[in-house]
Amino acid sequence: MTASHSSTATSAVDASDTILELRNASVTYDDGESYVLDDVSIDIERNEIIGIVGESGSGKSMLASALLDAIPDPGLLSGEVSYYPEGGERVDVLDLDGASLKELRWEEVSMVFQGAMSSFNPTMKVRGHFEETLDAHDADRTAGMARARELLEDLYLDPQRVLDSYPHELSGGMQQRALIALSLVLEPDVLVMDEPTAALDLLMQRSILVLLEKLQEKYDLTMVFITHDLPLVASLADRLAVMYAFELVEVGPTEEILGHASHPYTRALLNATPNLDAPLEEMEAIEGSSPAPVNVPEGCSFRPRCPLADESCRVDAPEHSTVVDDHSVACHHWEDSAGEIPLNYAPDGGTSADVDADGGTPDGMDADGSRGGGER
Amino acid sequence: MSHYLAKRTARVLFTVYLVATFTFGMIRLLPGGPLTTLRVKLARQGMDPDQINAYIENYQNIRPDATLLEQYQSYMLSVAGGDLGRSISLDEPVTNILAEAVPWTVFVVVVSTVLMFAFAVLFGAMMAYWEGSRFDQALTGVSILSASVPFYVLALLLVYFLGYQYQVLPTGGTTGLAVEKELSVPFVMSALEHAILPVASFTITGMGVQALAMRGNSIQVLGEDYVRVARLRGLADRRIATRYVGRNAILPMYTGFLLLLGFNLGGTIILERIFSYPGLGFYMFKALKARDYPLMMGTFLVITVALVVGAYVADLTYSKVDPRISSGGSNEAY
Repeated sequence: MTASHSSTATSAVDASDTILELRNASVTYDDGESYVLDDVSIDIERNEIIGIVGESGSGKSMLASALLDAIPDPGLLSGEVSYYPEGGERVDVLDLDGASLKELRWEEVSMVFQGAMSSFNPTMKVRGHFEETLDAHDADRTAGMARARELLEDLYLDPQRVLDSYPHELSGGMQQRALIALSLVLEPDVLVMDEPTAALDLLMQRSILVLLEKLQEKYDLTMVFITHDLPLVASLADRLAVMYAFELVEVGPTEEILGHASHPYTRALLNATPNLDAPLEEMEAIEGSSPAPVNVPEGCSFRPRCPLADESCRVDAPEHSTVVDDHSVACHHWEDSAGEIPLNYAPDGGTSADVDADGGTPDGMDADGSRGGGER
Repeated sequence: MSHYLAKRTARVLFTVYLVATFTFGMIRLLPGGPLTTLRVKLARQGMDPDQINAYIENYQNIRPDATLLEQYQSYMLSVAGGDLGRSISLDEPVTNILAEAVPWTVFVVVVSTVLMFAFAVLFGAMMAYWEGSRFDQALTGVSILSASVPFYVLALLLVYFLGYQYQVLPTGGTTGLAVEKELSVPFVMSALEHAILPVASFTITGMGVQALAMRGNSIQVLGEDYVRVARLRGLADRRIATRYVGRNAILPMYTGFLLLLGFNLGGTIILERIFSYPGLGFYMFKALKARDYPLMMGTFLVITVALVVGAYVADLTYSKVDPRISSGGSNEAY
């Protein structure tokens, strides 16, 4: 998947301008007994929005934390994480000492955590969070707070009211937006978001996505959007990366993944997604359950649940192979998957599925057939 | 808010009224009384029984034993006016005795409770920070031991060894006999010296429970997302320790602190007896032995009022300390 990224990728993305690079990143617990991130390599391009999709416990959050070298103790991160500042030298993230790591975090690469409600100190006003962050990074308070107010306004919040509130005085959606503003207050280039909309209702999810798109344009952000909600991120992301059992199984441009998914898991996942365009009886759950970190199957980790599995899947863990251009998949039988698992929402290879028909409209949610109708 | 304040204040006054009524009633339920004591005293002096009867009768004629209701009415009226009556055994106004005794007791109780919490917060935080280490295990053991020793047992040990056996610290009194009762360096030093053992008894035995509470709270807060986010935001460890972990871990202990002030006031009855420390508890014990109703009720009243006021202050100030709690009916200490 390090293969050349063709210019067919979304126009906003400069073909080979990588900003964050993950190479063979693994996270282990229990002295290397269990892997919660297994040999993951991915390039994140400058100014793109990449969606990392996977079910609960597939290692998504670990991938997010790895980008900031922020794996919770006692997890061990190995491999290589590189950050390329605009026009600057490569930075080896795992090699940084305390002070430089502190500079990288929040000033270059920032993060929005799962559950904004628990990300604020309950006994401190929102203003305090902004001020202490600016102070900790020796940033100018006046300019910083002015930027904070602008960010809050960009997110349709009343800056005065929000800054003077305690976290519990704000609604979930307001806290989430305030947290996004807090993560952008030091003008980072990369924003990593771990399930930023998980705790919100559908309407709030939708408006946050629209706001994120605006922010990305205004501040030239690179966004890593981690979620279990495939239709949600499909409307926003330029590229998608699918995780299964602590590995990346398929990476490619959003339209490619939705229209020509090649990994059996991705295809099954798409078929398991509620979709208004497909009759309910065609919605199929994936048999079995994903493995725990302590007993990941030998060979291909999806093998026990895969209709295409054969002897080679049991013996060899599949390498990533290129489907087209920058669409890569880790499966021995990816060429047969389309025939074996037909997508239930659109004929494979036909006109682009309506899931990605208007993926670029500001009203991102429209892109996703599964969510239309019911909300208006 | 002001409505709540009025309601809460009215309840304090009502509680105090009830307490005064109950103390009045319950003390009169105790067997014996000042006249019985007087009778025994006279009999011991070898007075003729007939003579004693006449004497007591005479005494009763001078101050006829009024009905309980009349006694109650006059007592409540004078209490409302700040007059707690005259001590029978010490022959002095109760308010005078209390004015002399209360400052010493307050001094011992406040100092020991504050020290108890200060050490508990410090040790508890350290145990949480090094959770699972040898240090944590050792200190947890010590805390449980400290929590299981009653303060009067420790007090007896302290006064026996440090007071009588090794004679490093005084065994009684609030200050040395030779020290003038005025605000001067020798007076303060002497007062501190006399307070060491009583304060230590309370502090050491009360610390364990609070330290374990602080440990538990801190471990919980350390696992919160906002602490992790604060670290990623690059905040200094010091700020995270105080503003994030410390504050959020100490908050739940705040009400307990104010209530403990009141409870410890009650504990002084035994403590001050052991150290012959003439404070509130010391006089209360005296009053109990002498069946000295006015003094007994006066001391009782001070202790219970202190407890009620402690809960009152906790309720009213908690919303100031913890922004999540707004003053209202549902989050009271009692």
